Amino acid sequence: MSEFELTVNGSCYAVRAEPRKLLSDVLREDCRLTGTHVGCEHGVCGACTVLVDDRPARACLVYAVQMQGRSITTIEAVAAGGRPSRLQQALHEAHGLQCGFCTPGIVMTFEAYLKENPRPSEEEVREVLSGNLCRCTGYQNIVAAILKAADAKA
Amino acid sequence: MPKPRFRHIGAPLARKEDLRLLTGHGRYVDDIEIPGALHAHFVRSPHPHARIRSIATDSARKSPGVVAVYTGAELAQWTTPLRMAPPIEGLHPVEMATLPVDKVRFHGDPVACVIAASRYLAEDAAELVEVDYEPLAAVADLAQALAADAPLVDESLPSNLVSVQKFSTGDIAARRREAHRVVACAFHQQRQTHLPIETRGCAAVWDEGREHLTLHIGSQVPHPLRTQLAARLRLSESQVTISSLDVGGGFGQKIALYREELVVAAASRELKRPVRWREDRMENLLASSHAREDSCRTRAAVTKEGRLLGLELEILEDFGAYCFYPANYLARVVAMILTGPYKVRDYAFEVKVALTNKCGNGPMRAPMAITSWVMEGTMDAIARELGLDPLEVRRRNMVEAGDMPYTMPTGEVIADITPRETLEAAVKAIDYAGWRARQAAARREGRHLGLGLCSVVESTTYGSRFYKAAGIPGSGHEAAWLRIEPSGAVNAAVGLGATGQGYETAFAQVVADGLGVDPSSVRLQLGNTDVAPYGMGSRGARGGTAGGTALFLCARDANEKVLAIAARMLGFDSAEGLHLADGKVERDILGERVDTGITLAQLARTAYLDPTALPAGMAPGLDFSKTYDPPPMTYSNAAHACEVEVDVETGALRILRYLVAEDCGTVLNPLVVEGQQHGAIAMGLSGALLEHMRYDEHAQNITGSLADYLVATATDLPSFEVIAMHTPSRANPVGTKGMAEGGVMGAIGAIMNAVNDALAPFGVVAERQPLSPDYLRSLVRRR
Amino acid sequence: MKPAPFRYHRPRSLGEALALLAEHGPQAKLIAGGQSLGPLMNMRLAQPAELVDLNSLPGLDFVNEKEDAIEIGALATHHAVASSPLVRSRCPLLAEAAQSIGHYAIRTRGTLGGSLAHADPAAQLPLVAATLGAEIAAAGPRGERRIPAAGFFVSLMSTVLEPDEIIVSLRVPMAAPGERHAYQQFSRRRGDFAIVAVATTLLMDKKGNAKNLRLGIGGAEDKPVVLAEFKSLDPDAVARAAREAVNPAENPRVPAVYRRELVEVLARRALLKAMGK
Repeated sequence: MSEFELTVNGSCYAVRAEPRKLLSDVLREDCRLTGTHVGCEHGVCGACTVLVDDRPARACLVYAVQMQGRSITTIEAVAAGGRPSRLQQALHEAHGLQCGFCTPGIVMTFEAYLKENPRPSEEEVREVLSGNLCRCTGYQNIVAAILKAADAKA
Repeated sequence: MPKPRFRHIGAPLARKEDLRLLTGHGRYVDDIEIPGALHAHFVRSPHPHARIRSIATDSARKSPGVVAVYTGAELAQWTTPLRMAPPIEGLHPVEMATLPVDKVRFHGDPVACVIAASRYLAEDAAELVEVDYEPLAAVADLAQALAADAPLVDESLPSNLVSVQKFSTGDIAARRREAHRVVACAFHQQRQTHLPIETRGCAAVWDEGREHLTLHIGSQVPHPLRTQLAARLRLSESQVTISSLDVGGGFGQKIALYREELVVAAASRELKRPVRWREDRMENLLASSHAREDSCRTRAAVTKEGRLLGLELEILEDFGAYCFYPANYLARVVAMILTGPYKVRDYAFEVKVALTNKCGNGPMRAPMAITSWVMEGTMDAIARELGLDPLEVRRRNMVEAGDMPYTMPTGEVIADITPRETLEAAVKAIDYAGWRARQAAARREGRHLGLGLCSVVESTTYGSRFYKAAGIPGSGHEAAWLRIEPSGAVNAAVGLGATGQGYETAFAQVVADGLGVDPSSVRLQLGNTDVAPYGMGSRGARGGTAGGTALFLCARDANEKVLAIAARMLGFDSAEGLHLADGKVERDILGERVDTGITLAQLARTAYLDPTALPAGMAPGLDFSKTYDPPPMTYSNAAHACEVEVDVETGALRILRYLVAEDCGTVLNPLVVEGQQHGAIAMGLSGALLEHMRYDEHAQNITGSLADYLVATATDLPSFEVIAMHTPSRANPVGTKGMAEGGVMGAIGAIMNAVNDALAPFGVVAERQPLSPDYLRSLVRRR
Repeated sequence: MKPAPFRYHRPRSLGEALALLAEHGPQAKLIAGGQSLGPLMNMRLAQPAELVDLNSLPGLDFVNEKEDAIEIGALATHHAVASSPLVRSRCPLLAEAAQSIGHYAIRTRGTLGGSLAHADPAAQLPLVAATLGAEIAAAGPRGERRIPAAGFFVSLMSTVLEPDEIIVSLRVPMAAPGERHAYQQFSRRRGDFAIVAVATTLLMDKKGNAKNLRLGIGGAEDKPVVLAEFKSLDPDAVARAAREAVNPAENPRVPAVYRRELVEVLARRALLKAMGK
């Protein structure tokens, strides 16, 4: 067992876990932040994407013990003060989610990406979105929502 | 534009479900905190077919954190096996133990369950379970399954051929004789799997004092699941609650009661402790449920003008090792509805289903997915062989408005659908008239473009009479419940299981119109069998028509009672001329609707708290239930058109344009319907292009990760153009026809036809999926 | 799919990391971005007893200009490489190849050193490093040594790196004045490993003919194949030569004949693209 501190969404969590425990599991079980979803545990589906120091990362390919001294952001922190972000609002309006299981990973990926590239083309959006699997939507409305959110940011 | 029939039905309301899902506050099974819950993990067979000589669990039991290790022997005492023996001619009855005791039948078959304090510890211990296997020769494909000396997958059967059905009407031999040509085609669809992004999983909580089991699980069919689970645990249905809150996709994979779920429930009861299980992705790929893997052949007897005289179909399906459903269930529907929008009287089919040493099959979004490809591929083949225009061949054979109701040769009746209208709209939108010139111009530049058409007649909603005729026990009904609380708040429930279809929004719109309130004041309570009434759940595309109609009728009952109370309060003899709109009672005066000042909240208060003020003989309260059994079958229809480019040097395939003209009747919520259209087309294209559940020649699964099982990503798919051509059905009061699977059917056929159009200069025809680049290269190279 | 237990080490210096490797030998495994090792460990295909996390080593995530080369630290992420203005302007082939790796959230974690050490035969960075004649610097108990990338990759997931060595940087020659390049990759989907990838650099003479051609081929064999000697520099001839030069293994998913065809097609396209045709 290791004991260490994790900074998640600006709060400090004292964690006692085996070093092998995945960040995705520690967030969900130890920090009780269940918005980070686990879809494949081998880095393909993107459902567990969180931000590590503001950069997207698959939480299933990181051990929580590695994250000491880093700042982690999860889906629970995105709607500041309970108000959905532009991206979340755009996904709602454009019907960019169905079952919603992949949605937090997509939101986290693009909260980071749109900061880096505030006015992406559709091609760029699709390229970045290709790292997140969605089985419900066919991606069309997700792409539309992201472009809409980017437009609103400009 | 005609005046809309409804005030709320048809409005593009953004979904009520979204906010919680967007902010990480959904409640999927794994998000439900259960203090003290143990974690289950299954030991699975590495062999496709092997005798189990012994299972040693001692060292696993001693591993840190382990509470129990169970095998088939224990489960056989605590549960009953699944017997699948519907009275269907040509279908052999089969039986399945909760966990195999004597032999394993596929790579991934569960043989033992480790229960430990955490999943990590359970996986550690699972490595210590020693199973002594005696490997047996395995059946890896249909050819091996049907070979004379094939090993038996199920030793209780005379052969691996678990089901054979034949049907013939008219005189096929005569039609063949008089035909100008008999056009033969073949179609091979590969094995696939549903791949919901949330895998299977459950959490069982046994309450020893109340002798009650609660199973948290993502389910499409909470009530039928409860019936099965209770029976197999030898519990009464009142001792079991199924609770299914948010579900991360189902697509047919979350219908059956699987062995793992039954084991987890039994373990919880045995240990008197909560037990939870989350399937990992490797298990989901190897051992949840697979789908498809059909080979079809058609022979079409046609005139010189391309008119269909007779049609024959053979289907051979690889069903895998176990039957969670009657083995003929999926393939038979293909045969029943094959002719779809085309007129033909003489028709024959043969449906054969064989067992192999692979994961068992189940229905996957459009279990009859191959239907439209087979029919529309046959139409294209007729055009090709006769040198006719494929659109013209379709026009010559299509059922027109004046022909309906039209009875298919199998006895299926189509009515109120618009195949010709949607086809014409699709070809107009894609500029079919200018297509050959565009194609020729591209070919001069060395580019190979293709255009594919695919008409779809989608069987959406199966009524009880359809099941009865098919010999399948069970019902096609759906059930609704509605309660107006003393405050006027409206709670409603239906027996469906939501997996992302926006029920909480679209059905609030249905209830709103049926009752006369605003959708925002209606809350759907879904997925809990203690709350929702006993309905048959979500499968096929029945939600809108079976569930929506049940809710609408239920809400109409509520409206009637509420207005009767209003009439009494206003001192009228009858409620005639009274309406409830947005929760307020209005009255017709000289053709105008005038507010009476009475609100639903007042009426509800009266109903509950002042029953003496109710009309004579009226019982207190505002609690309503309704069941609804839809017609034997409801159909919707669509026409798909797709333009592709094949890079003949690499075999790469790019979709240049994709459109669909669809008629699914009254639309409950156009946002939701379009979303379902996108999703269904995407799933069809993903399957046609990429997905392939592969086994090697020894029946070893070689598709254990998402690096092997490829599904379409955002860069593989185009934007889909949707042409809405919805005309109401007259068969139910809302006018819905159902939708959400037809997109899969149409996409598969449209893209195959488009690719074959592009490959026409090479004189080859793609007959199998997926359309991988090396497969397309092999076709072009062979020339 | 949970990893087997391991002991976790977080060295704060290269010396400390090397000492851990020396102490634990083959029991130890290095982790940087974890984008390749993570899945293997979750599937328990890799079960190292000691996991040595390099992420706290200081000063290994640089991208610097050094004489006529670019030096990149082993901990630089693919994203950092692909978006570095220096790499983009002075070694555009590397930037283009790095940008095509996996997906955004993979590129922001995956590292240059990790990709080279993992040595997937279809990976971008080994191919480009070999094609460009880059040098890999590895630190070990015997000091630092420089290994030409062309000789670094031995076979499938295997390199000349000793078990007690750590890759610290890659030195890539800058593009010569007038040098042209092209990177062509064929994969089933965007972000998948290439079935075949081709990287090329060349110069053009005054008549518009190619010269100084180097052509790297990834995915065809168990390590990158680099060709620099050609009888003719005509694109069709080069493409045929590339096809003849490789000997792909049969594979249940991708037939060898198909891989060969792709080598020819991609080589020709790369050449034409680089030549601006």
